[in-house]
Amino acid sequence: MSRNDSDGAASHLVVSQISKRFGTTAVLDRIDLSIGRGELVTLLGPSGCGKTTLLRIVAGLATPDGGSVAIAGRDVTRTPPHRRNVGVVFQNYALFPHLTVGGNVAFGLRVRGRPRADIAKAVQRALSLVHLDHLTERPISALSGGQQQRVALARALAVEPDVLLFDEALSALDRKLREEMQGELRRILREIGATAIFVTHDQDEALTMSDRIAVMNGGRIEHLAAPHAIYARPATLFTLGFVGLSTRIRGTVVGSDAGVVTVDTSVGRLQAMGQFVPGSAIVMAARPENLRPASDSTDGNCVSGRVRSVVFQGSRSLVEVDAGEATLLAELTGAAAMGAVPGSDIRLSWPVAETFAYPAPGPSA
Amino acid sequence: MSAITVGPITSAAPASPNRERWIAAGFAAPAMLILLALFVVPLGFLLAGSVLTGGGVSLAEYAKLLGTSYYLGVIWNSLRLALLTTLIAFAIGYPAAFALARATGAVRSLLLATLFLPLAASVIVKAFAWTILLRSDGLVNTVLITLGIIREPIRMIFTETALIIGSVNIFLPFMILPIYSVVAQLDRRMTDAAATLGASPVVAFLRVTLPLTIPGIVAGVALVFSLSVSAYVVPTLLIGERYPTLASTIAKAYLLARQPAFGAAAGVVLLVIAIAVITLSTRLARFGGGR
Repeated sequence: MSRNDSDGAASHLVVSQISKRFGTTAVLDRIDLSIGRGELVTLLGPSGCGKTTLLRIVAGLATPDGGSVAIAGRDVTRTPPHRRNVGVVFQNYALFPHLTVGGNVAFGLRVRGRPRADIAKAVQRALSLVHLDHLTERPISALSGGQQQRVALARALAVEPDVLLFDEALSALDRKLREEMQGELRRILREIGATAIFVTHDQDEALTMSDRIAVMNGGRIEHLAAPHAIYARPATLFTLGFVGLSTRIRGTVVGSDAGVVTVDTSVGRLQAMGQFVPGSAIVMAARPENLRPASDSTDGNCVSGRVRSVVFQGSRSLVEVDAGEATLLAELTGAAAMGAVPGSDIRLSWPVAETFAYPAPGPSA
Repeated sequence: MSAITVGPITSAAPASPNRERWIAAGFAAPAMLILLALFVVPLGFLLAGSVLTGGGVSLAEYAKLLGTSYYLGVIWNSLRLALLTTLIAFAIGYPAAFALARATGAVRSLLLATLFLPLAASVIVKAFAWTILLRSDGLVNTVLITLGIIREPIRMIFTETALIIGSVNIFLPFMILPIYSVVAQLDRRMTDAAATLGASPVVAFLRVTLPLTIPGIVAGVALVFSLSVSAYVVPTLLIGERYPTLASTIAKAYLLARQPAFGAAAGVVLLVIAIAVITLSTRLARFGGGR
């Protein structure tokens, strides 16, 4: 992405200090989020993390207890949804069953009192964008799930909203169709330069679709960054665990030098990137594709263990290795993958530069 | 990719439809036999009885019914009672159905109980209850006089007002329940979707909620209308002789005047009215809910 995000002046949607409580539980805790014009930001998190509530607050379907929402420079915190000009694609589409495909897409324009001829043109345009212009007269009940998804998108696009919001919009589709729609949605959103928020619990969807991802947990944004940064340099232990796979080893810092800490662990002395004072309890982690069978000349972190299981995944194999109290996870290819047999001994190494460290959670976590 | 075609869903096993049809017929048979013996056959007798007089076929009874201003007035009385009851029951019942559907927990149980329990009491009991409440020394007058709102008891019982109040009260559950069952299944995100598309709450109601609840409205209207157009106990007890209806005319023809042919003809007219209203409301619903 060549986009320069979080540039305050260009922010099209600004959420600041949004809080929301349901009873005694804080669903959203002082959320700040700025989205640039034409940017697609994904809210990614487990169910109950507050992502859908945040989306509903942006749409005006829920009222925040505190904070504000501004769209295109206008404070809309107290504006009812029908005066906000946002488009929402709902989880199960929420299409109007008593209207045809065309009737659904025309709805937003009809309630705005647009001239009939303009409506017909806009409906045709929106439907051809999703390749459904031949189904204008169909009743909703005669559509497949994928087609309903497209109609829901066309309906939201037809009113030319300032912001498009997707609430788990693809999760009702089967895997193949979902991947197709991901690609197509990206194409459409690029084509019209839409500013969009995409809510999902599916990390693959988030990594594929987004300009930036906001990983949410417990009503807060844990990490907001571009997909590759989220994956390669997770800011928190939660982000690390929620996005992608990893090897995690607990240990105690014994030395620190130039952003590299030396750590005593149950599998020996290892090194990781990070700033910690000696004595700190930390968790160090690495992505599986960075682990390789060690040769004699290897430097970096090195751990020996016994192969517990091998999951063959076509071009690569996911290998689990028992090393004392720790479990290593390596993604191996080619000859290295062939060499890993359950029960055999293996020595794995990975670069210190690809090893991150986090403060260890309390004993309960 | 763009040319996904949708065809009619056809059964996967080509041999089964015939078999399934027979099984379905088997399940329906007991109900069909009972309906035939207890409903269709007596209706045939009724129809025959209304035209067979003195050995020949004659429409004289219908001519008497539809050609006399008195009996036209009777038909109008029945229609008027049914129309007013249906209209008022709809005005009260439609919002009540929403309140019921939106209520939760104990409140919902309580509301449902207040709706269902009266159905367990006989219509006669409820109509008598109203005569007691509405008579000149009844509860309503006593309260109004005690509060100083009126000095003299108002004549309430044996007025059309009493009739409509009682009728609406007794038939209201039949309006609320079908509408409630539709509203309860209504997807709340429909109104969310309408709102985000720019529809104010009023517009969202008129363009989305109302059309989607039409099946419930039709069922409620059809039920309440057909029940109140043929009501016998309610008008007899709450207004009596001053307001002859088709139902009371039929009863009189059979029980007092010994004119079974005339009673049968009045019965057929009543049936035709009920069927016509139900058919009409269903048609209107299909038209209104179409686009």
